[in-house]
Amino acid sequence: MTPGHALRLQELRKTVRVGVRRRPVDILNGVDLSVDPNDVFGLLGPNGAGKTTTVKIALGLMRPTSGSVTLGVSGLSLVGYLPENAYFYDYLSGREFLGLCARLFSLDREERSTRVDRLLKDVGLMQAADVHLRKYSKGMLQRVGIAQALVNDPELVLLDEPMTGLDPVGRVEVKRIIEDLHERGKTVLFNSHILSDVHELCTRIAIMREGRVAWQGTVAEAMDGAATLEDFFLRVVTA
Amino acid sequence: MNQFFAIAANTFKETIRDRILGVIVVFALIMIAGGLWLGSISLGQQGRMMKDFGLTAVTVFGLIVAVFVAASLLHKEVEKRTVFVLFSKPVSRSSFIAGKFLGLCGTMAIVLAGMGLFLFGVVLVVDGSPSWMIVLAVLMIYVQLLAVMAVTIFFSTITSAILASVLGICVFVAGQLSENVLSLSRLGKNTLTQALSWVVYIVVPNLSAVDVKAGVVGEQTLAWGQLALWTGYLLAYVVVVLAFGVLVFRRKEF
Repeated sequence: MTPGHALRLQELRKTVRVGVRRRPVDILNGVDLSVDPNDVFGLLGPNGAGKTTTVKIALGLMRPTSGSVTLGVSGLSLVGYLPENAYFYDYLSGREFLGLCARLFSLDREERSTRVDRLLKDVGLMQAADVHLRKYSKGMLQRVGIAQALVNDPELVLLDEPMTGLDPVGRVEVKRIIEDLHERGKTVLFNSHILSDVHELCTRIAIMREGRVAWQGTVAEAMDGAATLEDFFLRVVTA
Repeated sequence: MNQFFAIAANTFKETIRDRILGVIVVFALIMIAGGLWLGSISLGQQGRMMKDFGLTAVTVFGLIVAVFVAASLLHKEVEKRTVFVLFSKPVSRSSFIAGKFLGLCGTMAIVLAGMGLFLFGVVLVVDGSPSWMIVLAVLMIYVQLLAVMAVTIFFSTITSAILASVLGICVFVAGQLSENVLSLSRLGKNTLTQALSWVVYIVVPNLSAVDVKAGVVGEQTLAWGQLALWTGYLLAYVVVVLAFGVLVFRRKEF
């Protein structure tokens, strides 16, 4: 990771055109966000606030109408991403799918095999490694999704709703993975509606509202004067 | 290059493991075998009838597989949102399109080889001697379908899967007629019609130029040099059409 920010978004705007008349709709209205190296950064906000769009623009899946994205790592080869409600190739087994993802990062055969086995063990899917993904439960798919986001040993990990569909055991495992990434010096940014998880895991947070960052700072700063993170969140999004 | 081959291998797995493909191939084999009955009611022409009917069945079922699979390849990735996983990794749009095409080429090769071998076997039983021209005819059907697949993939970057399939079939039909259209327009005096015919002739791949079915059943002598030249033309056509597909797909957001 280069010195400075792990991810820096400046004045990010996104306008899409909808309907027959191509009516312009602003999705992002000047997002300014900076994520420091080794942060566990929580991106919060009500539905439609622009969290997923922000992450997609950061990854190059969407183009901003204006503004800039600066990744603190050299390209996507050091970035991991878990999409929201991820769907994967159901005709592949968990092992084949992770092997494919590892191959996309140009890892050699031996390295692929070692990493895939380790990740399957880490996310608790070793028993189901050779089962087709179409037979996986939602929680298992979420876990294989997290595994694919880590297959390249990324420096920056972007997780869109990583706790969705997980049972309490799955949630504990994902939290353990995020904590482990933090201990290893990685940077994690995740979107979530589960504020207790955010409180537990994050070093810094940003709260988005109507396509812009309404507040960002440390969790301790957010909790200063607020009984719970929920109270602070509601105060920001309803202000 | 690694990404390109990874996507090709994945596309091959995706398409070859599709159960509908198996159903289409089984149906094609039944149709080819049905040629035995058609041959039995033709007077002394059983072998020729068998080849003619069999190669038509290989073309039609090959076309069905080529068009419908090619049209759905990109749309499936977008609709099922697997593109998020791919394009958040160091995968270029050109590797994606080219890899998808190569994977489908592999599947088509297996499908046509299966149908071709079956036809070869049936004709061997009926005629009592091997007809190696069937191998050439199936190879040329493969070359035609490569062009149709590339065109269908291109259409799928700009329109829906269903429309891309329809347009792919239209291009196949037009490709069989493009040379005739040009010849007919030369008979007339209208310069606009002649110009339009030239445009059609350039844009639509001339598939009839590599159609050797008539040569296989002994109605036509094959011009090998011409055949090699037109094969080269169709392969170049594939590259150009895919390049246009990449240009369009680069502009897409997910």
